[in-house]
Amino acid sequence: MGARLSDVKRYLLSGVSYAIPFVACGGIMIAAAIAFVPMTAAGPDFSHAPFLKMILDIGTAAFSFLVPVLAGYVAFGIADRPGLVPGFVGGYVANQVGAGFLGGLVAGLLAGFVVYWIKKLKVPAALRPVMPILVIPVVSAFAVGFVMYRVVGLPIKDAMAFLTRWLATMGTGNSVLLAIVLGAMIAFDMGGPVNKVAFFFGAAMIKEGNFAVMGACAAAICIPPIGLGLATVLGPRLWGDEEREAGYAGLAMGMIGITEGAIPFAAADPVRVIPTIMVGSSLGSVIAMLGGVGDHAPHGGPIVLPVVDHRLAYVAAIAAGSLFVALAINAWKALAARREEVR
Amino acid sequence: MKIVAVTACPTGVAHTYMAAARLEKAAARLGHAIKVETQGSMGIENALSADDVAGADVVLLAAGIAVRDRERFAGKRVVEVAVQDAIKDPDRIIAGLGGA
Repeated sequence: MGARLSDVKRYLLSGVSYAIPFVACGGIMIAAAIAFVPMTAAGPDFSHAPFLKMILDIGTAAFSFLVPVLAGYVAFGIADRPGLVPGFVGGYVANQVGAGFLGGLVAGLLAGFVVYWIKKLKVPAALRPVMPILVIPVVSAFAVGFVMYRVVGLPIKDAMAFLTRWLATMGTGNSVLLAIVLGAMIAFDMGGPVNKVAFFFGAAMIKEGNFAVMGACAAAICIPPIGLGLATVLGPRLWGDEEREAGYAGLAMGMIGITEGAIPFAAADPVRVIPTIMVGSSLGSVIAMLGGVGDHAPHGGPIVLPVVDHRLAYVAAIAAGSLFVALAINAWKALAARREEVR
Repeated sequence: MKIVAVTACPTGVAHTYMAAARLEKAAARLGHAIKVETQGSMGIENALSADDVAGADVVLLAAGIAVRDRERFAGKRVVEVAVQDAIKDPDRIIAGLGGA
C-alpha cells in the first residue's frame, strides 16, 4: 500500500493541527467559567451564574467537536477530501461509544485508509462522478461506523466494567498501589474511558466518606496539561508555534482540572507523551495519597483547593508531578532531536 | 508557452474535470504545454509539483471556489477565470494568456 506506516505521524499531526483551536477555544471558555463560580462539595456551582453557565455551554460545544475534527482531519490527511465524511462520522461515534480521543485516532486512521483504498479501485468512467459524492461517503462511513460501534465500542464497555470492578476489589487496602493505578489511568487517555473509570471511582468514594481517593485523582487530573504546558515554557525551542500555543491553553485548562488540555500533545506524539504523563500523574497521586490529601469535590486541579484537606501536600503533589512531566518530556525530545542530527 | 492550471468547482464532480479536459485539448491545439491540477471532490489530483510551478510561464486558475494552497503561486503571473468560461471557450482563454 502506497501510504506507509511511517507516514502515520504526519497524518496524526494534520488532524491535531485542525483540532488545537477547538481544544483551546473550548478549554479556555470552560476554564474561565469554572474559575469564577464557587467550588462546592458537589463540584462547581453554576446555580447563581446563568451567564457563566452559558459560557460553559459554549465552551462545551466547542469541546464536543474535538474528537470528530481530529478524526476527520486525520482521514483528510490520508485520503484528502473524500476522507472527511467517514472521519467525522467515525469521530462522532467514538464520542458516542465513549472511546475518547484514542478512539477518535483509530476512527480517523481507519477512515483514511478505507477511502484511500476505495479511491484506488478502477471504476468505469460512467460511475466516476458518483464515486466521491455517493459511493465513497456511504460505503466508508458505514464501514467506519460499523467498526466503531461493533468492534471498538463493545470491548471498551466491557473493559470499563472490568476496571471498575477491579478498582473496587482493590479497595483501599494498599493505598500507594491504588494511587499509582489511579494516576496512570487518569493520564492514559485524558478524559477517555479509562480516565472516566478512575474519576468515577474517586467520585463514588466521596459519597462513602473516603476523600483520599478523589484527592489522588484530583492531583493526577491536572498534571498532564500543566506538565506539558510547563514543558513548552521551559524548552520553547523544542516545540513548534502551534504547540507553544496549545501549551498556554494547557496551563489554563490544567489549573481548572481539565485533563483534555494535554490531548494535542498526546495525539501528535502518543508514544512519548502518554507514558510520560502516566508516570507524572502516578507520582502526583502517590504524593497526594501519602500526604493525606482529601478532595471533597468530584473535580480536580488547583481550582478545588478550597475544598481540599492538607492543601500544602496537594500543591506539592501537583508541582512534583508537573515538573517531572515537563523535565522528562523535554529531555526525551532533546535526546531524540540530537539523535536525528547525528543521523 | 508553459502553462500550469488548477480547476475547481463547488461540487467538484463534473465541471472541475470537464474544464481540465477542455483546457488540455485547447492548449494542445494551440501548441502550448499545459499541466492541469484538479481540485475536486476526490481531493487534489494530478498535483502540480514545485518544479512544475517554477518552470511555468503563467498560472491559470479556473475556479468557482477558493483554490487550495494558493501560496505556492506567489510571484508568478496568475490569470483567474470562471470555471464555466474554461469549459465554454477554452481556446480564447488559452490564447489570451499570451498577452501581458
